[in-house]
Order: sequence, then C-alpha cells, then structure tokens
Amino acid sequence: MAPSRGLSTVFSILSYRTSHSNRVCSSIRPQFISRAYTSIPASSFVELVTRPTSKHQIYISRSLDPYLNLSIEHFLLQRTSPESVILFLYTNRPSIIIGRNQNPWVEVNLRLLNAAKNDNNDIETEPPSLGDVWLVRRRSGGGTVFHDEGNVNYSVICPPAEFARDKHAEMVVRGLRNLGIDRARVNERHDIVLDQGSQRSQVDEADTHVTPYTSDDRLRSLKISGSAFKLTRHRSLHHGTCLLSSPNLNIIPDYLHAPAKPYIKARGVESVSSPVGNVGLSNGEFERAVVEQFCRLHNVPLDASRGAIEGVNTTVSENDNKWVSAVVDEELASIPEIAKGMDELKSLEWTFLQTPQFVLSSHPTPDDPRERPTLDSAIPSKTQISLKSRSGVILESDIHIPSDGPLAETQAAEIHKELANKKIHEIDNWEALLGGSKGIEDSNHTKAIGNWLAKMFGKA
Amino acid sequence: KKYSNDHEWIEVSQDGKTGTVGITHYAAKSLGDVVYVELPSPDMDVNVGDSIGAVESVKSASDIMTPVSGVVVEANNALEESPATINKSPEDEGWIAKIQLTEKAEEEIKDLLNAEEYLKFIEE
Repeated sequence: MAPSRGLSTVFSILSYRTSHSNRVCSSIRPQFISRAYTSIPASSFVELVTRPTSKHQIYISRSLDPYLNLSIEHFLLQRTSPESVILFLYTNRPSIIIGRNQNPWVEVNLRLLNAAKNDNNDIETEPPSLGDVWLVRRRSGGGTVFHDEGNVNYSVICPPAEFARDKHAEMVVRGLRNLGIDRARVNERHDIVLDQGSQRSQVDEADTHVTPYTSDDRLRSLKISGSAFKLTRHRSLHHGTCLLSSPNLNIIPDYLHAPAKPYIKARGVESVSSPVGNVGLSNGEFERAVVEQFCRLHNVPLDASRGAIEGVNTTVSENDNKWVSAVVDEELASIPEIAKGMDELKSLEWTFLQTPQFVLSSHPTPDDPRERPTLDSAIPSKTQISLKSRSGVILESDIHIPSDGPLAETQAAEIHKELANKKIHEIDNWEALLGGSKGIEDSNHTKAIGNWLAKMFGKA
Repeated sequence: KKYSNDHEWIEVSQDGKTGTVGITHYAAKSLGDVVYVELPSPDMDVNVGDSIGAVESVKSASDIMTPVSGVVVEANNALEESPATINKSPEDEGWIAKIQLTEKAEEEIKDLLNAEEYLKFIEE
C-alpha cells in the first residue's frame, strides 16, 4: 500500500542499536513463541514523545510489568504535545487493577493474592491458584479488572476536542470484526461485548453498537473489554482491556470475590460485575488489527505503523506531520519521570490510603440495612463490630460483646484506643492488637474477633 | 461571578479576600453523573490551572482546575457524602473549594469571562 506523497515527504527509518535491546521473548505466552525486536532507547523515546511535531505516535510495550506499563502510559499522557494522538498497547503479567476511587477490601480477595506471595498452600482453589497475582490501583476511574498475558490493553490519548467515550472502543470493534469476530459490539457502558445466541437479523454492518446476534432475550452478552478514562486539562485518555486468550477465566471470580463485601458500605466506586469471555485471537493478531484501525481512523500511513508491529522503529514525516512508531520495553524504567511514576503506583500509600471513606459492620445498620451472613460461632452472639475508615485509616470503631449499654460503651472505648488512627493495611495481627487493650477479658473472644477482622482485611 | 475557558467559575467574597470556586453547569452536564469527588486539602498552595481535585463520573477520573492562584482554605466536604450535588447545583451548593486570593489572583480574575462572554464561548 503506497500512500501518495509529495516531494516534501521524507521517509526515514531510524535503526537503533540492537546490542542491548535485541530480545528474544521467551515462551511465557503460548502464542508468542520467540520474536526478536528492536526496542527504542530511553533517550530517543523521551525526545520523540515530547517533540511537538510527533503528531501521531504508536507504541507497543514488550514489558509485562503493570507498574511500568501504566507509568509509561502516564508519561505519554503528561508529556506528549496537546494536539497529538497516541496509541499505546501493552500486556501485563497476572494482576488485578482497581480503579482510582475503589476499595481494595471490597473488590479483591487480598488473602488469595497474598497467599501466593507467602507460599501459603492452605488455600484451595479450583483450578489451582494462579501463583503470584499483583494488585495495582490505576489513575483512571472505573472498576476492577483482571489482567494476564492473554489480555491486551489498548490506550488512546488525544485532545479533549477530539474525545468521545465510544470513539476508540468503536475503533477496536472494527478491528475485531475485520478478524471475523462479528459478534463484537460496543455497549451502553462503553465496554465491548460478544453477543451470544444464534438468532440472526439484518443490521447495518457499519454500526458498531449492534450485531446480527443482538437480541432482547435474556441471553447475556459476554464482556471482553472494559473501559476507563482519565481527563486532564489538556488531554483525554481512554484505556481498555481485551480478553483474547486468558487461561484464567475460571479463577478470576475467586480473586474478585472479597470476604468483606457483605459487611462494608463504601463511598467511591463499586465494580459492575459482568460475565466475561475470551475472543479467541492471538495477541499479535489483535495488536495488528488495532494498529491498523488506528491508522485508518487518524489518517496514518500504514507503512509508518509497521514499526511497532515489526519491531523496527520508524519515524515517518509527511509534510509537517511526523509519525513515531516503536516497540518499548523495560529500558524505559530508567527514565526518571517513569521511575517516579512506578514508585508512586507501587507505594502502599497509593494502593491503600487512596481508599474513600467506608464503614465495616458485622450487623445491619440504618445506613446499611443489608442482612449479614452469620458470624463465626466462636464470636459471642451479641457481639457487634463496626469500624469507620477514611483514607485507609481507622477513624472510629465500636466493638463490643455485651448488648448496648454502659458496659458496651466502656469496652468499645478501650478497644478503640488501640485502633484509632491505625492504617488498616499495616495491621498484620488483629488478635494481638485487640489483646493489647483492656477491653476484652476472654482471650478466646479476642482471638475470634481478631480472626474475623483479619479475614475481612485479607490477613487470614 | 466570573468564568474560565476550562468551565470553572469563581465568586469573590464581599471583602475581596476569598474566592469560592466550582465547575459550571456546562461542565457538570458533560461529565455526567458524578459518583465521587476528590477534594483539595486546606493550606494547599495553588497556581492558576493547577489541579485542585478530581471528579469521577462514567468511569472517568476528571481533573478539576483552579481558575485562580492562592491558598485553599476550605473544601466542600458535603460533596464527599453527596457527590451528586455537583450535578444538582454545580454553581451554588456544589461549590468545590474556597481559595484565599493573592494579588496575582486579582489580575487573573480580570482576565476571566463574565456571564455573557462565557455563554458566547460555550455556544461556539
């Protein structure tokens, strides 16, 4: 495909030193056996990203580190010029990514996450637990998603004037449909779903919001891609997942099922649960399709984009529009802003202290009248446990074993002395913490209540 | 009341020392239903255009910018309990922060749009 070009066009392929960057990717992913690529050196990356004439940029990351990938994405959001449009594709090792304003104790089974880290083999899951799954809080809004090597993420950054929530989801759907995935469409929540069922009807093929299989009946479509957004003063970011061939669909629900959920009423954002499915494409096929659609949508010559796909870095200029297309990898972690971003995302402060206000209570309350599952029998029957937290810190607590009355108040006050202002994620031993107060006489009760709280907060 | 190109408003107090800021009807409408508001902390030093918080709506985390420089003296904590107030009353009860104005701020306010100019701006 030869784009028409005037005399002023300069087509230059910059080849980068390959000694450090030539990597043969190991067969971590079944469909990605071995592939040599040349990645862009950090200094060139910074130069090309920030250059005002880099109007369209396409990057594919070969790192599986979610902290790095999200930090590269954030760097692109903050440092690309306001008029530029960026496509960034990345894949992460198994991780759970929660939204900016979510509550990890409500969204995630932290015990399962930490079990693998601590080689704790007493937790049984079917199929066998995944091993190490990381937890990351991202900077955009929205709900919780599971990433693994069978899931490719796409991210588009553009000027606010060109932003619309469905625009690039529609772009991805066109890519999927070109690969024969005719059940794909964008839904009302800006997610991408696969319509189920066999009922075929006549539809406008160009309409990315309906498929021949879309029907009113109860057959729920399967979600294959979730979207989230971040809008700053000068830039709009849309990123989304795409489940292509995750081997972990059966076990994802276990990780996203938190023991504290029935007991916590939280401000912030709750996830909307959807049944998920795999598209059944390889990562490479999907990447190529999305890059191609991006080029079509934004009038990029397809030749320029091949750089990212084939791992040869290209900078193409046509008139004043310069294109950059490259593979990126771990080397970018050496860029100070990106390293700083990674530190922020990794910090326990960001992960846990960003949590909006919530109340945990073992029994129904006026604010949260839901029925609760019965507490463990080791906990005395009239016990009531309640905690209020803001920014991941315990503000108020009311734990008492006798029924409401002066005895209960005294006990709760004593216990609160130990809990006040503690950071929840830092409490490793609830039993010991409670035991340190004069509040509970019977050590069996301390143990039972301590264990319950430990379960709620992912420590047991 | 004055307005910025980024769809924020500011209302200066009688004594000219503090400005109450928030986002406009137009901005609130484009955001959609606000489900969470991240407020600035008091004593935060801000420069015009800095982010003084963020709002979440429709899975989007959107920065809120300050139209003036100064020091944050108060944030509207009621928004933590009822983020929807921003949609119901963005230019009144849904105010976001009160900012102690600097001399620089007084100049900045002169450059902002008045109601008529802002209406014209959003019509374009």
